[in-house]
Amino acid sequence: MLHLELLIQGLIYGSMYAVIAVGLTLVYGLLRILHVAHAGLFALGGYLGLLIINATGSLVLGMLSSAIIVGVGGMLMYRLCYQPILDRPPYVALIASIGLFIAMEEIFRLIFGPYGLTYHHPPLQSQMAIGGIHLRAAEIGMVIAAVGLLGILSYLSQNTRTGIAWRATVDDAEMAKSFGIDTIKVRYLNFFIGSGLAAVAGIFISLLSNLVEPTMGGVPAYKALAIIVLGGLGNVRGTLIASLLLGVVEAFGTIYIGSILDRDAIAFAFLIVVLMIRPQGLFAGR
Amino acid sequence: MGIYEISLATVVGINIILALGLNMISGFCGQISLGHAAFYGVGAYTSALLAKAGAPLPLAIAAGMISAGIVGLIVGLASLRVRHDFLAITTMGVGFLFLGIVRQQEFLGGELGISAIPSSGFGKIGYLVIVLILAGFVTAFSLWIKRSWMGFAFDAVADDEDTARVVTVDVNAYKLAAFAMGTSMAGIAGGLYTFFARFLMPDDFGFITSITVLSMVVVGGIGSVFGVIAATIILTLMPEFFRFISDYKLLVYGALLFAVMRFAPEGLAGLARSSLAHMRFKTRTKDEVA
Amino acid sequence: MGVILDVRNVTVRFGGVVALDNVSFSVNSGEFLCLIGPNGAGKTTMLRAVTGVIKPQSAQVLLAGKDISKLPTHKRARLGLALTHQIVRPFRSMTTIDNVALTAGHRRIARILTAMVAMDRSAERNRARKYLELVGIDEVAQKSVVGQPLGVTKRLEVARALALEPKVLLLDEPLAGLNSVEAARLSDTIADINREGLTVVMIEHNLGEVLRIGQRLVVLDNGRKIADGPPAEVMRNPTVRAAYVGKERQNAAA
Repeated sequence: MLHLELLIQGLIYGSMYAVIAVGLTLVYGLLRILHVAHAGLFALGGYLGLLIINATGSLVLGMLSSAIIVGVGGMLMYRLCYQPILDRPPYVALIASIGLFIAMEEIFRLIFGPYGLTYHHPPLQSQMAIGGIHLRAAEIGMVIAAVGLLGILSYLSQNTRTGIAWRATVDDAEMAKSFGIDTIKVRYLNFFIGSGLAAVAGIFISLLSNLVEPTMGGVPAYKALAIIVLGGLGNVRGTLIASLLLGVVEAFGTIYIGSILDRDAIAFAFLIVVLMIRPQGLFAGR
Repeated sequence: MGIYEISLATVVGINIILALGLNMISGFCGQISLGHAAFYGVGAYTSALLAKAGAPLPLAIAAGMISAGIVGLIVGLASLRVRHDFLAITTMGVGFLFLGIVRQQEFLGGELGISAIPSSGFGKIGYLVIVLILAGFVTAFSLWIKRSWMGFAFDAVADDEDTARVVTVDVNAYKLAAFAMGTSMAGIAGGLYTFFARFLMPDDFGFITSITVLSMVVVGGIGSVFGVIAATIILTLMPEFFRFISDYKLLVYGALLFAVMRFAPEGLAGLARSSLAHMRFKTRTKDEVA
Repeated sequence: MGVILDVRNVTVRFGGVVALDNVSFSVNSGEFLCLIGPNGAGKTTMLRAVTGVIKPQSAQVLLAGKDISKLPTHKRARLGLALTHQIVRPFRSMTTIDNVALTAGHRRIARILTAMVAMDRSAERNRARKYLELVGIDEVAQKSVVGQPLGVTKRLEVARALALEPKVLLLDEPLAGLNSVEAARLSDTIADINREGLTVVMIEHNLGEVLRIGQRLVVLDNGRKIADGPPAEVMRNPTVRAAYVGKERQNAAA
């Protein structure tokens, strides 16, 4: 029974990692940038969601508006921060992104205080029992949201013109341009979608602990980075699988090797072990 | 010079050694490491354990240097296997792994760290002199390497690894050398920190520290020895001179990192170079007019 | 005249595509061999497999009788195999002369410890200057390579490879992108060096120059070797003509 619970726990967290990591791998696939500031957008989404939900009482309104605002924020981030430095060596964008992320964390701390904010009436807290396992509505909601959103994303990318244009650009931007695809628009779309997803993930995570706090982006960020490497940089399906795998490894790992390694380090231990065996990650290429 | 200034200068000296170590790995050899603080930590913890066991200062610090260098070599070997876009994340992972392990080990003090480390026995000023001498040595070493044929090979590796191989550079060997030297320097810094602070906590060697050191290298101008020294001095002293910003210290670091990368990716060294070139141009045209 | 470079059974696969299918050829010491064939025939892939830049599915490469098939690229270079790239790759952070001086100093950087203590670059810079003069770009010696025109950087690739004092010089389209004057001058320089004893293997599309200075032609088409012999004889070979004409027809239809 314990094993099943751990598995489910792992899959739940894994599904949330997936929603965060997908945005990150989308940006890498397109621009070859490790968009660490993505974690800042994740936290921003959590904060905005909480504030709006507290103000209006509506979970849906909170999620939707937060996702849209953060999505636009992501697009602005691309335009103001990344686009001007795309022709520089890759470490420039990486370090700029890290700087941005740290600055964002600090701004949250300075504006909203170091201890964070809580929900007046946290939604989705009801407990349910499914097959003898107790889950909260928020956890179930997380999985449903992850499956739903990523499923929609996958469908749209295969079946709409915009989706196909996006996939072509990720595959080979030069060729896409020669086919008349507006690669700049694709980039904006990329950031909008990835950031919006991060916001949703941020809200769900905050529902689980009834807390948004300035450093909430940190740990998921680091794990998401490990995940996109495992999944194959730019490979969405690989990222999804790697996310779920990591969630499960963490759940089991915390129980079984928690005495030598704390939970957050497990993600990186897993990454390093995998990379030593398969230097190209679990799934290379696309 | 009061006790406060002496302490400050000591910290600056330690940071210079730490930053020059990262400069060797990331600047000279182009391998971006986001986990440098782990080697700082290895050096510090090793020295601390030896110091508490009664070892004399030089032995403790040497042990710190060697253990950090050995761990650095292992990490370097591991990093050779991965693609270089993965290097940054792998080194970040090493940093977290180090913390994760240290936090769980009782003999390393766990979450609470190691305390009551014996004093260096040299007094505050004496210790400052030791730190500054070592910082001077590390600086001279860095400058030497930069001018040497090893530095020449590093330039090629940092510029274009694959082409470097085609012109006979054993890229893997040089990367390992950079790692071993750079992490050993971090180990020295760690040992010196141990006797200075006499109290170690795992959080002193976390990701934020790695980023702080990286910012010193990057703001200084990645690869430039004097640029990195200048940036280290400024960034270490800044929160002290502007007391009111100590609460904003991290925000300033973050914003500075971003701003430098966005507007002056060559750092202080780059700015110095272009203003020198600008001045030379101006004097030349003045001469031509005259 | 012995065989200095012996390339046997090279097969390279990328994904599902067979780029080279069991190709073999050998080069005699002092020879000037031209590797030709239509676009996509696998010529660049062949050179990259010989130098170890890419790992073939199977291959055996012998340099001066020594089996170098398992050696990493830098060791093959050290044993005397020099390569220039079709799309030039100078070290952008260095000056023109330093690009060549680094290679000229290949003995200095062979061992980490000796590289660490050696400071003096003047001897290598002097030798580098001679190579720059040889290819005619010494007037930009002190300039950074960034911003130099293709005519300069292509010749820099050659100078850099020559500074290795190689046994075999592998050139990947050294004349592409040069105007006819520069191309003629560079190919003359290469022919001169070859006459002095350096073995050259050159990929070139410029058939005029190939026929002028090449001593033997190896023709690849779609990953297979379809001809191997003196220029006049090879160009008369109907299979070779068909390969080229076939590509022309494809290009014309497109």
